[in-house]
Parts: sequence; C-alpha cells; structure tokens
Amino acid sequence: MGREIVLTLRNDLGELSRLAEAVDSFGTELGVPAQVLYHFNLAFDEFITNTVSYGYMEAGEHAIEVRVGCDGERFWAEMSDDGRPFDPFSEAPEPDLDSSVDERRIGGLGVYLVKTLMDEVSYRREGDYNRIYFAKRLAANSAGDHQSQRAT
Amino acid sequence: MNVTDERKGDVLILHLAGRLDSSNSPVFEKDLLNRIGTGERRLVLDFADLEYISSAGLRILLMGAKRLRPQGGQLVLCALKDPIREVLQLSGFLSILTVCATIEDGLAKAAA
Repeated sequence: MGREIVLTLRNDLGELSRLAEAVDSFGTELGVPAQVLYHFNLAFDEFITNTVSYGYMEAGEHAIEVRVGCDGERFWAEMSDDGRPFDPFSEAPEPDLDSSVDERRIGGLGVYLVKTLMDEVSYRREGDYNRIYFAKRLAANSAGDHQSQRAT
Repeated sequence: MNVTDERKGDVLILHLAGRLDSSNSPVFEKDLLNRIGTGERRLVLDFADLEYISSAGLRILLMGAKRLRPQGGQLVLCALKDPIREVLQLSGFLSILTVCATIEDGLAKAAA
C-alpha cells in the first residue's frame, strides 16, 4: 500500500505555488529526491497552464483535481479536469532543439521535457474528464525487493 | 519570484530569487523585454537563488536572447542550480545561450 495526497485546485495559475509546496513537502517526507520533485513540478506547471489557458470554453470557476502518490516503486501523479478533450502527449507540436537562436521555436518544449523526464505518461478521456497520469520509478531498495520476489 | 537590480558599468545584473513559473512569467517577460527595449545591451541573469524555472521561463530566456542578438547584445546566465541546468541542457539551450559557472565569469563575459 502506498501513500497519497489529493488537492483540489481552482483554474488559476496562482495555484501552482501552493501545489508545488504541497508536492515538495509530501515528496521530501517520503525521501523522494529533490530533482524528481522538480520534474513533477515542471509537469504540473505545463499541464495546469494548458488547462487554465486553453481548456475551458467559457469563463468561470472550475476544479482541477491532483493526486500525488508513492507506492514504494514509483512516485506518480494524476490530474483530472473537466475542460475540453485534449491529449497533450499526442497533440503538442514537436520541439525544435537544434536550430540557432534566431530560428529557434519554443512550442512543445514543456511536453517534450515531461516525456523525457518521466518513465511513464498516459492520457485518457473519461466521461467529461481529461485524466493525465505520469510517474517516475524510484531507485529505492523496494525495487530490489521486487526483484528478489520475482527470483523465487 | 523576486528580482533585484545591480549595475556594474554598462552591465545590468538581475538577481532572480524563488520560482519562475507560469503564474509570474508574464511579469518577468515584460520586465526583461522593457529593459532591452530601453537600451540595455549587456544583461547578466544571476540564478544563484533561483529554485525553479518552468518552460514558460525558458521561453523568456530565448526571447531575450533573440531580441539582443541583432543589436550585438549579450544575455548571460550564471550560477545555475543542477536541476535548472539539466532542464536547459535537455531543451538544447546550453548550446545557444551563454552560461557561466559564477557571477564573476558572467560579468566578464557580458562586459567583453
């Protein structure tokens, strides 16, 4: 059994710092490396910004639910919003990583970073909700336990 | 995020502290582009106390560099923490932006 936290955010970018604080303190308590927490905050920043900026057809308050958990083997997060259907992993443009300063375009960089930094990412539409999941495997001793179980 | 100015000759140093995320990036974007618009050509961004930068922040760095380049200006980043350096590296920014280990190196680069 793992541990998890649930936060309900308003569709307001000002919520990002509150979320980052909660994720940092939850992860730090569990011994998740600071670098991994940074990667999670990057992902939240990216997806919440997308949802808040482009996800809703009309103005008004919406709730974005964020669950973050740790099951010993992986640190994971799931975000749910009731915005219009949007799969960031298939619809974001490919980033431009090689051209010169003058020619460099920046679109798609955030999603590219998330895909690169996470071990697992997925999107599904469930009823009126977008559900984005991402996770990172932890190089902890629990991974070793898993292997010895498989060996027996 | 807090931004503190420091002037050394014709170099303007901006000390950034805290988190540069999507909620405060529009303010910093306006601030940086205003300074370039009003004639600053040698800018050093001191990241020693910057804990976090998102892709929205990266976008501003690229915009600043794009604006300065045709005017022969310099945008130099210095004292990056490891996670920030990693994100810049993955984004392919280390090859197009000037990055220095210390603020002294950054100043020398910007003044050159």
